[in-house]
Amino acid sequence: MILELLAGNLIHGLLLGCVYGLSTMGLSLIFGVLKVINVGHGPFIMVGAFVTLAMVTIFGTAPPVAIPAALVVGMALGFAFFYTVMRRLIKAPEFTTLLVTFAIGILLQEVVKFTFGAEYRGYNWEVGKIILTITTIPMTKVYASIGSIIIALLLYLWFNKTRIGTAVRAVVEDSEGARVCGVNVDRIYALSFAIAIGLTVMSGVFLTMFIPVGINPYMGGVYTLKAFVIAVLGGLTSPYGAFFAGLIFGLIENGAYVLFAQIPGVAPFSLTVSLAFWMLFLLLLIKPTGLLGAK
Amino acid sequence: MKINIAKYYPLIPVYAVYLTMFLVGFFVPGLWQLVALLAFYCALGQSWNIFMGMTGYVDFGYVTFIALGTYGMALGITYFSQFPGLGIAIIFIGLLLALFLSTLSAILEAGIALRLRGAYFAIACIGINEGLRHLIEGAKIWGGSEGMLYWKELTEVFGTETAIQLTTLWADIAVFIIAAMAAFINVYYMRSKIGYALTAIREDEDAAKVMGIDTTKYKTIAFLTSGWLGALVGAMAWGLKLTHVFPADVFVIHYTVECIVIVVLGGIGTLLGPLVGGLIYGLSKYWLAIILPGFQLLIFAPIIICIIIAFPEGVIGVVKRRVKGTRLERYII
Repeated sequence: MILELLAGNLIHGLLLGCVYGLSTMGLSLIFGVLKVINVGHGPFIMVGAFVTLAMVTIFGTAPPVAIPAALVVGMALGFAFFYTVMRRLIKAPEFTTLLVTFAIGILLQEVVKFTFGAEYRGYNWEVGKIILTITTIPMTKVYASIGSIIIALLLYLWFNKTRIGTAVRAVVEDSEGARVCGVNVDRIYALSFAIAIGLTVMSGVFLTMFIPVGINPYMGGVYTLKAFVIAVLGGLTSPYGAFFAGLIFGLIENGAYVLFAQIPGVAPFSLTVSLAFWMLFLLLLIKPTGLLGAK
Repeated sequence: MKINIAKYYPLIPVYAVYLTMFLVGFFVPGLWQLVALLAFYCALGQSWNIFMGMTGYVDFGYVTFIALGTYGMALGITYFSQFPGLGIAIIFIGLLLALFLSTLSAILEAGIALRLRGAYFAIACIGINEGLRHLIEGAKIWGGSEGMLYWKELTEVFGTETAIQLTTLWADIAVFIIAAMAAFINVYYMRSKIGYALTAIREDEDAAKVMGIDTTKYKTIAFLTSGWLGALVGAMAWGLKLTHVFPADVFVIHYTVECIVIVVLGGIGTLLGPLVGGLIYGLSKYWLAIILPGFQLLIFAPIIICIIIAFPEGVIGVVKRRVKGTRLERYII
């Protein structure tokens, strides 16, 4: 019985893990290129959720239509924040970047709250489900994870097969060296920041396809924290590392939830979240470069 | 041992401001709450400054200390109120528990996080904060997410009259005392070997290590001091004053960010900075809440971004440059 439950949950975990992975790639990309931790990561995911909500409720489209819209919105936000704010903070001390990214997050939350209100919302999108003996999987979840994998693959191809992608990798390795080799580093900074934010906002769409309820301006905080754990797990500077770490995280999270739920007298959901952080500490103690990191 | 009084001159303006605040709050009716709020922000700023201002490490999980301090006071009052005859001692037991819990968490953080730098340090600190919060909620420790309410216990021990006095007056006075202590420790560290070691760490940790500075030792000293003061502020300003504690209310990163904003506004690593920053931040937050309720954050966020980009050295940083070479110089650090 419990094994069936566990197996069923692990399938969900694997699917959710793909979305987690995609949602963390942006954080890793920003850290890799700009050496900035985006403490306002979650609110960008929230923006993606609201883009979906707006597309579904106002224009009446299916949620996947929101994916390109989210990319456009995200990249626009990325370029806007880069040229107004982040550009001035590239070599700045750490507290300024932390504070500024946090303030950007608050700004996004408040603007969304001001336009959409603070209540919890959700939407309905029924496209059938896969019925297995151990569990039932809505097709929306399958689409969300397949979509995430496709986007991650596209990013991989962009990184490895195009000239600009190669330039981005060069900047991640050594920005001064890249500058010497004739890479326009400032443009790479802007482009990667915009793409990273675009990815993050887009992952918000997939997340709402996965969990179509509970959309509200403050939903992002928990994803910021999960993204931190996943990013460290994946080595912090590597977007693909982040993707695979997302898979591992999804599996552990859903698996642990089932096991904690067996213990009487505890709140399994909170314990699962807590476990994620103790995992993080263990990792930081043993191998701070991440499970999938270099060296 | 000859004590060099001159090195404590910078405390004069700080204590003058605290005294003025205290007198204004005490004698002008209706202002006590505002003054108490300002004292809270100043005390937090001063406490936070001891570690972060001097070492350059950004402890984004600083609120853990404040939260555990609150829990210490809550535990002290809840459990020790059962013993008759302890009386006022339960408050001191609460403070001791606050110090004890914050020491434990500081050891944990020092073990995990202080070995790390930069991004990893910030992430580890946030992680410890969230990990503790969800552990308390998940394992239902100390009431779990239902938290603890202990107004009843407090009144049973002291009677309603004294309990009201304790929560509305003495808790705030204690915050003033902690703020004064924090300012003193700030100056003491700045003007002693510890301060020089910490400055060396901030400028270049590897070089400091090569020069023979025991970086781990000095970082831990500053970290513990800063954490203890934070815990005391939490115990008094939240624990004793509010007489309730919920994990979702106290382990909130926003408060760390407030500390950072206060210190950055005033000037990082300066003595007067957290005081000036606390006053500016507290007053503007108070007025914004009155003029435009619900919009404080919407207005604050862009202002913070602009200030950090335009004046990274803060008010006191600018003033310090102005008074350089004048007789005011020795009073302002």
